[in-house]
Amino acid sequence: MMIVLSFVARLAWWLLLAPLLPGIINKVKAWVAGRRGPPVLQLYYDLARLWRKQVVMSTLASPAFIVGPAVAWAAVLGATLLVPLGPAAGATLSFRGDVVLMLYLLALARFATTWAAMETGSAFEGMGAAREVTYAVLAEAAMIAAMLTLAVQTGSVSLATMLAPSVGTSAVLLAAGLFTVLLVENCRVPFDDPATHLELTMIHEVMVLDHSGPPFAAILHGASMKLLLFAVLVTQSVLPMGTYSRTMASIVLLVGVLIVTVGVGIVESFMARFAFRRVPLLLTTSVLLCVFALLVAWQGAA
Amino acid sequence: MRDLNLLIGLAMGLNLVALGSSRLPSIIRATALQGVLLGIMPLLLEHDFGWQVVAVAVATAIGKGVVIPGLLQRAMRAAHIEREVEPFIGFVPSLLLGAFGTIAALAVARSLPLLPEHAKSLLVPGALASMLTGFVLLIGRVKAISQVCGYLIFENGIYLFGLLLIGSTPLLVEAGVLLDLTVGIFVIGIIVDRIQRAFDSLDTRKLTVLRE
Amino acid sequence: MIAGPLLTLSFSALVLAALAGRRWPRTWLALTVAGSGVALAAALLVLFGTTDWEWRGTVAFGGELPHLRLDGLSAIFLALVGVLGGAGAVYAHEYWSDASHPTSAPRGRAWWSVLVLSMMLVLTIANGLHFLLAWESFAIAAFFLITLDSGARAVRSAGWLYLAASHAGTLALFAFFALLAERTGSWDLGPMRAQAGLQPLFWLAMLGFGVKAGLFPLHVWLPSAHANAPTHVSAIMSGAAIKMGVYGLVRFSGWLPVPVSAAWVLVIVGSLSALLGIAFAFAQGDLKRLLAYCSVENVGIILVGVGGALLAVADGDSPWGRLVLAGALFHVWNHGLFKGLLFFGAGSVLHATGTREMSRLGGLWRRLPWTAASFAIGCLAVAGLPPLNGFVSEWLVYLGLFDAVTSHGATAWAAIFAALMLGSAGALALASFVKAGSMVFLGAPRGRAAAQAHEAGRAMRGAMLLLAALCVGLGLAPTLVWRALARGVAAWHPAWTVAPVPGALQAIGGTQLALAMLLPAVGWFAWRKMHGRTARRALTWDCGFAAPTARMQYSSASFAGIASGWFRWILRPRLTLRRPRGLMPTRAFRLERIPETMLDLVIVPIGGLIMQTASGARRLQHGSLQAYILYVVAGLVALGAMVLGAGIR
Repeated sequence: MMIVLSFVARLAWWLLLAPLLPGIINKVKAWVAGRRGPPVLQLYYDLARLWRKQVVMSTLASPAFIVGPAVAWAAVLGATLLVPLGPAAGATLSFRGDVVLMLYLLALARFATTWAAMETGSAFEGMGAAREVTYAVLAEAAMIAAMLTLAVQTGSVSLATMLAPSVGTSAVLLAAGLFTVLLVENCRVPFDDPATHLELTMIHEVMVLDHSGPPFAAILHGASMKLLLFAVLVTQSVLPMGTYSRTMASIVLLVGVLIVTVGVGIVESFMARFAFRRVPLLLTTSVLLCVFALLVAWQGAA
Repeated sequence: MRDLNLLIGLAMGLNLVALGSSRLPSIIRATALQGVLLGIMPLLLEHDFGWQVVAVAVATAIGKGVVIPGLLQRAMRAAHIEREVEPFIGFVPSLLLGAFGTIAALAVARSLPLLPEHAKSLLVPGALASMLTGFVLLIGRVKAISQVCGYLIFENGIYLFGLLLIGSTPLLVEAGVLLDLTVGIFVIGIIVDRIQRAFDSLDTRKLTVLRE
Repeated sequence: MIAGPLLTLSFSALVLAALAGRRWPRTWLALTVAGSGVALAAALLVLFGTTDWEWRGTVAFGGELPHLRLDGLSAIFLALVGVLGGAGAVYAHEYWSDASHPTSAPRGRAWWSVLVLSMMLVLTIANGLHFLLAWESFAIAAFFLITLDSGARAVRSAGWLYLAASHAGTLALFAFFALLAERTGSWDLGPMRAQAGLQPLFWLAMLGFGVKAGLFPLHVWLPSAHANAPTHVSAIMSGAAIKMGVYGLVRFSGWLPVPVSAAWVLVIVGSLSALLGIAFAFAQGDLKRLLAYCSVENVGIILVGVGGALLAVADGDSPWGRLVLAGALFHVWNHGLFKGLLFFGAGSVLHATGTREMSRLGGLWRRLPWTAASFAIGCLAVAGLPPLNGFVSEWLVYLGLFDAVTSHGATAWAAIFAALMLGSAGALALASFVKAGSMVFLGAPRGRAAAQAHEAGRAMRGAMLLLAALCVGLGLAPTLVWRALARGVAAWHPAWTVAPVPGALQAIGGTQLALAMLLPAVGWFAWRKMHGRTARRALTWDCGFAAPTARMQYSSASFAGIASGWFRWILRPRLTLRRPRGLMPTRAFRLERIPETMLDLVIVPIGGLIMQTASGARRLQHGSLQAYILYVVAGLVALGAMVLGAGIR
């Protein structure tokens, strides 16, 4: 009974909380710009409306156009179930090496989304998909380096126990690196501007240009879950969650997620999207930050 | 030791910043900040604060952190250049070179026969990495000002090596080097200004025309 | 032990098939499939049994007594050859039939059986001299299969390149086996780790087998051979033949004492092969060339596992070595299966449209639904995505590398490097196969050939579906596979005897199963819900442009554009550009081609240098009798001087 209850609670956290994050980001942006901005719950309204809408499919598209977003959504959900919510709560499923499964489930989501995007034969969506899969090359290296850092710090290769980092220089470097990865993986400024209206310069938004109705809702919801996943991951990779008491840890986790989200909003308010030729430089920087975090952790553990 | 390593680590980070940035002001700023960090270091190394040490530290910090960068910034404004365009070694490759160099410096320093009190310190790897960064900037950049920054970073590396011997060599020697350097930069600043006026460009590639 | 009779049966079936191949296609098909299937059964018997099979003949052949053995390691490779030999024969029966290729089809059938048979012999022979003979016949059979379509110039030059590279490797192997025989006093092969004096010989083996395996700088023959060969041949070449090189490396790294530096080189070269191989693959515009370069990547992954295992052994038998080696051996199977599947898919596309250029294809899912579906499964598997088989083997390798990093020895540096490279290579593989799948099967047809394509027949579809099913099946039953892998690992290093299934692997098996049920269910639900009631079809949105054409789709080169910019330093793309000029420009184009960089910029210049030196020496021989007499006199004088000089001293 307890297991079922905790599973439901976890699902609720991931499914229901996730759409809040983009709302908070938009609120922060509006607040910095001195506007009122859309309500924090805007994405919930959007999702509810999209769910009721009709689907329009390109004449060229195969069933994978609809199946892709659904699979991507399910893959992200699967990845979230591997991520622990604080040291006491743990993850739904945890075993040695689950960290690699999480990375590959996110990759599966990427495959499904880009495949669905390519279904339409549109040049715009080709552009978005090409950027998405290419930037992931460096982001993936950064993620591996970050996970290796955590593994070195804790001597464990399971997410449930490896997200108990030590504080210090390594944590600072790791925070910077992972935050950059969060920005690129979730297509935020300075890699992509979700608010722009010029399709040529977009990544994620242009990939889903032809999607509509419930599949589009699945894409938006999946994207927000991915953002939440990364926010939870960043928080737990940096703060020594293990040292807090049970309730304290939950509060710290919530506050951490909030801080990360607000941070994304602030970055978005004060930075412009980078020119595409400068993106690799920033990506390389994030890889190097994670690699140096790894080296410092190594030095510390030796 | 911990604080010193933190400072050196920051200086190594600034090396990478200098390698990765395309805007000249940010390279100059990184160099300046590195200079200030280096200026503070003798204070952490020396346990008995003599007035000499304090004076040299302040002089280094001001010289490397304020005077030289100020001169460079003036030269930059006089020459109306803001950006490094089309460097010989691109920004991502030079960043990667710098990073691999830093890692290699860490690995090399471990195998060097150092005094036991220096074994845990980052002085040697920091020095090697800074010198390498300086080389990469000197070789890979086109604009004279970023090359000067490269030279400064290179000198910072030598300074770090000097800190190893802080017990046995008087800081006055280092102060003398610094003075030379300041004069040198001053001269370069003037020359840059003249070149700019004469040729309308600071591109060192074009200076090869003058070889005859 | 029943494996012996099974192997005899299989070998004789294949010999008969080679003889029957010219005349009777159906008999050939039945015999080849039977021979392969029986060999597969023998391999599985050994893998899931407990004893190895060994046989020593009493009648000398070529001065040596025959010695065959089938242990866990060779059985793993034999099983793969069995599957691909059979599936490929079925595929070839339709793909390269007498009707479409009246002259070359009979030849192709005979050589196919010879190829399969000689690969099986390579895997079972445990005598250096006989190994070389089998190796040579394997190389020659492959050459004749590659050049089946000998009318085309590209095919002939690819064949010669293959033959030259292959013999360069064989030369190293001749030296290797001869020196081995000289130092051990016998041609017999077997474990000889204790003899430390044999260490340097491993470098020769690495060179010789590395050429066949297609390790990065030695891969120059591979892309053109795999791209130009008939597709069923490409499939077995990529899936099984390059694995013979891998087999050699695994086999002799297990039998010989290996210098630690060689293990480092294997890990580093393997990582670089993975990254650069897939970088080249991503930039290709030719579907089969893309698949060929991707094989370079996967061999890299496998060798990272082998090198890692060697490092672990040197590091005091660290337990993580078992994981990386098991991962590498599993990846041997997986790569064989999904690469075979992908090549079969590419062959079906080529068969239907007559082109391998991805920028002329597109929208084929409508006309080739079976091919499209199985190709998509292959794409998911090769990108290492759950819940398919590629994920499990990559996961094993990663888990081993992560363990190596946490164990904190000097080997951890190699593990960090390898993990980072494999991470990037994995993401690039995903990018490459999103590109390959979508350029060929999605969107609108880019040319008339693509618009009028037709689905493959029953035999070709059957072969594809079989491999696709195996890709899914192996992914869902990793714990079952582990038993076979553990046999292989134990054969490689006796200290790592049969281990219980790691708990984490059971967990992975469970999640794979759950995902395999959940993901299709979610997809099916979405399709039913969306499509059944409400979906409406409309033109793709192109920002209000009124007349979209198929040529406006994103092309293969543009999809890879950003990444090939990053790897420009090694890809060296050749650009032909004609800018639009004036008002109402008519003809403008931008053509980007990736040359065979390593071949053109490294190997050919070196070859040129050798040729120059050689032709300088050739000037000595010009047919003038007087000059020859002068040489003789000069030689005699020199000899006399030497003898006298020695005498005086």
